[in-house]
Amino acid sequence: MPPYRSKVRVLEKYHIIGFISSGTYGRVYKARSRTPGNMQEFAIKKFKPDKEGEVVQYTGISQSACREMALCSELSHPNVIALHEIILEDKCIYMVFSYAEHDLLQIIHHHSSSPTRPPIPAATIKSILWQLLNGVAYLHQNWVLHRDLKPANIMVTRSGELKIGDLGLARLFYKPLQSLYTGDKVVVTIWYRAPELLLGSKHYTAAIDLWAVGCIFAELLALRPIFKGEEAKMEKKSTVPFQRNQMQKIIEILGTPRKEDWPELTSMPEYSQLPMLKTCPDMLETWWMSVTDGPAAAGGRSFQGFSGSGGTAAGGGLQNTKAGLELLKGLLTYDPMKRWTAQRALESPFFKEGTRVSLHAFDSHENQYPNRRVTQDDNDLSLPGTKRSGLPDDSFAGRAPPVKRVKEN
Amino acid sequence: MAANYWASSQRLHWQMSRAKLAETRRALDAMDEKVFQDFPLPHYRLLSIYFNQQLIRLGRRMQTRQQALATAQLYVRRFYTKVAIRDTNPYLVLATCLYLALKIEECPQHIRIVVNEARTCWPEYMPADTAKLAECEFWLISEMNSFLIVHHPYRTLRELKITLKLTDSEEETASQVINDSCVTDLPLLYPPHVIAVTAIFLTVVLKPSSSMGAFGSSVSNLRVSSAAAAAAAAAAANTMNAQERLQHVVNWFANSKVDMEAIIDCTQEIISLYEVWESYSATGEKSCREMLGRLVKQRGL
Ligand SMILES: Nc1ncnc2c1ncn2[C@@H]1O[C@H](COP(=O)(O)OP(=O)(O)OP(=O)(O)O)[C@@H](O)[C@H]1O
Ligand SMILES: [Mg+2]
Repeated sequence: MPPYRSKVRVLEKYHIIGFISSGTYGRVYKARSRTPGNMQEFAIKKFKPDKEGEVVQYTGISQSACREMALCSELSHPNVIALHEIILEDKCIYMVFSYAEHDLLQIIHHHSSSPTRPPIPAATIKSILWQLLNGVAYLHQNWVLHRDLKPANIMVTRSGELKIGDLGLARLFYKPLQSLYTGDKVVVTIWYRAPELLLGSKHYTAAIDLWAVGCIFAELLALRPIFKGEEAKMEKKSTVPFQRNQMQKIIEILGTPRKEDWPELTSMPEYSQLPMLKTCPDMLETWWMSVTDGPAAAGGRSFQGFSGSGGTAAGGGLQNTKAGLELLKGLLTYDPMKRWTAQRALESPFFKEGTRVSLHAFDSHENQYPNRRVTQDDNDLSLPGTKRSGLPDDSFAGRAPPVKRVKEN
Repeated sequence: MAANYWASSQRLHWQMSRAKLAETRRALDAMDEKVFQDFPLPHYRLLSIYFNQQLIRLGRRMQTRQQALATAQLYVRRFYTKVAIRDTNPYLVLATCLYLALKIEECPQHIRIVVNEARTCWPEYMPADTAKLAECEFWLISEMNSFLIVHHPYRTLRELKITLKLTDSEEETASQVINDSCVTDLPLLYPPHVIAVTAIFLTVVLKPSSSMGAFGSSVSNLRVSSAAAAAAAAAAANTMNAQERLQHVVNWFANSKVDMEAIIDCTQEIISLYEVWESYSATGEKSCREMLGRLVKQRGL
């Protein structure tokens, strides 16, 4: 057959402005359309091609890229990143997305690294959470599990619209032919990983995404990950180690899980590991007070180093909302069957009381966040398969969670 | 979207009218007059039966689930609305469609395995280099505009089984009819639930002749004439029938909002498939194989 030729050429259609980031599966570039008058900006995700020696070869598209292409092509929701087109050219896959100027990792970092650690305004947190839950509800209504929700994968546009991104690990959970466990070595960055996964559950449910949403809610308040465990490295390729430290971090705040609250607990594969961990009472309320009211309200001490920042409490303006704490409790419920669904969470009084929820996260204040860093040192898309080493992944490399997901086949 | 047919790429981008489909195929044939003359091919109906047989052969070697086969078949059909068969190596296209369908249906096989199995099936025509299949995958995805998620009638069948109180064996027969619908253009023309309802209609109202036993998975033995189908369809529409259970189904047909005209059109399509299929037999297979073989060899595909 004649060699495959793309009918569309990326570089004829798009002007590459610069390089944004390199991740597990490829590199992301900022681009603009070459169509005169079209000022729209795009993020182009280029999947790494495989190389055999020095020659780039066609090797078959990875399962993960297939899923991302297939799912992103079907999805359409204001809170899910919009895919414009996919171009298959020169042995590479280019996915062209709408550009989002910010992401939650960057927004959190902006606050936590300022000398006064100013909290994210309550209205912004509310808006972010509302939009995030709407996006997750949409995904779940369509039987899509995201499985990798974390601040870096949640983007926000200049005007404050939240866009869930990176569907590289997403899957349909309706009638899977294979168990949802097989084939995926690591799912969900450890800090956002639900307890049932830590305890060895083989079945994913939509509830794992809501645990991650709970962790993100907490992180928006505290400006640091609520459960910042250390990853136990995989020793053998075949066995997934018990994430002891991560589980302990959860227990320190939520208390030791009890089978009265979580009947399935005792049948979890890693249940026998639990007695080896330090037992703790449920401290979530104390944690909540220390981050929303500042240390004074939490008995003068910050709780395990979590505290609001001096004068203004973190999540300023949330101190009186019992509903906020209820929502967080609902999302961080041990038993996945009892954990709140996205729909349930959206009905929380948290979104009804106080200021109205805005569909633009920055309504309450000027968008103060710096633009995404775009570098010029590697914007040469045209070289297929060039892997350049030594480039910074992004400006917060030091803050990156301890595990990068394993590239699948 | 993925769970919602009404918002799916299948409905929005990959459903077309018969007229449009016929026109698309005519245009592809007309693209190269000379090649069209020099390489005669059997009618697309016969080729569909042949492709189906070949895909099943390859699929069997890898214990492929029916749903992945159905997806692969629809990929083949979509691809050949964009690309002239005469410009391709159909064996490589079949293998590629199955390879991609296996990934999308979450039962992936390594590219090496697919190529090796395909070579066992078609040693003369299947390239040994995995890069060839991988390259063809780019072509396939690109022609399908990256719309890879496919909705099949099986899900509607499972739902209606409960509503219509179908027996297990009726469900089984209906799902065989759905398998057979993959050998027709129906999945490009009608929504999956219309095909599912057609399959139930054929199974319950028109009843395949019981003497023929269960349906073969590659060649169905369902025997109904078009005239019988039309009569039964009319009967169903008028809701006059004796048996109680049948009555239940017929009532449902009458009261539901299903487009009876579409059901009758689908029914006729399937029945005419069975007619063609009966006459296809060994000679049909042989002529498909020879004509495609000559095409691949002489055009160096
Ligand atoms: N639409 C977009 N607009 C702006 N930046 C984006 C966009 N999509 C992705 N990015 C940036 O590129 C980074 C990597 O994208 P993405 O998460 O999709 O790729 P990945 O290869 O799966 O990465 P990782 O393994 O780090 O999760 C994001 O964290 C974000 O900083
Ligand atoms: Mg990512």
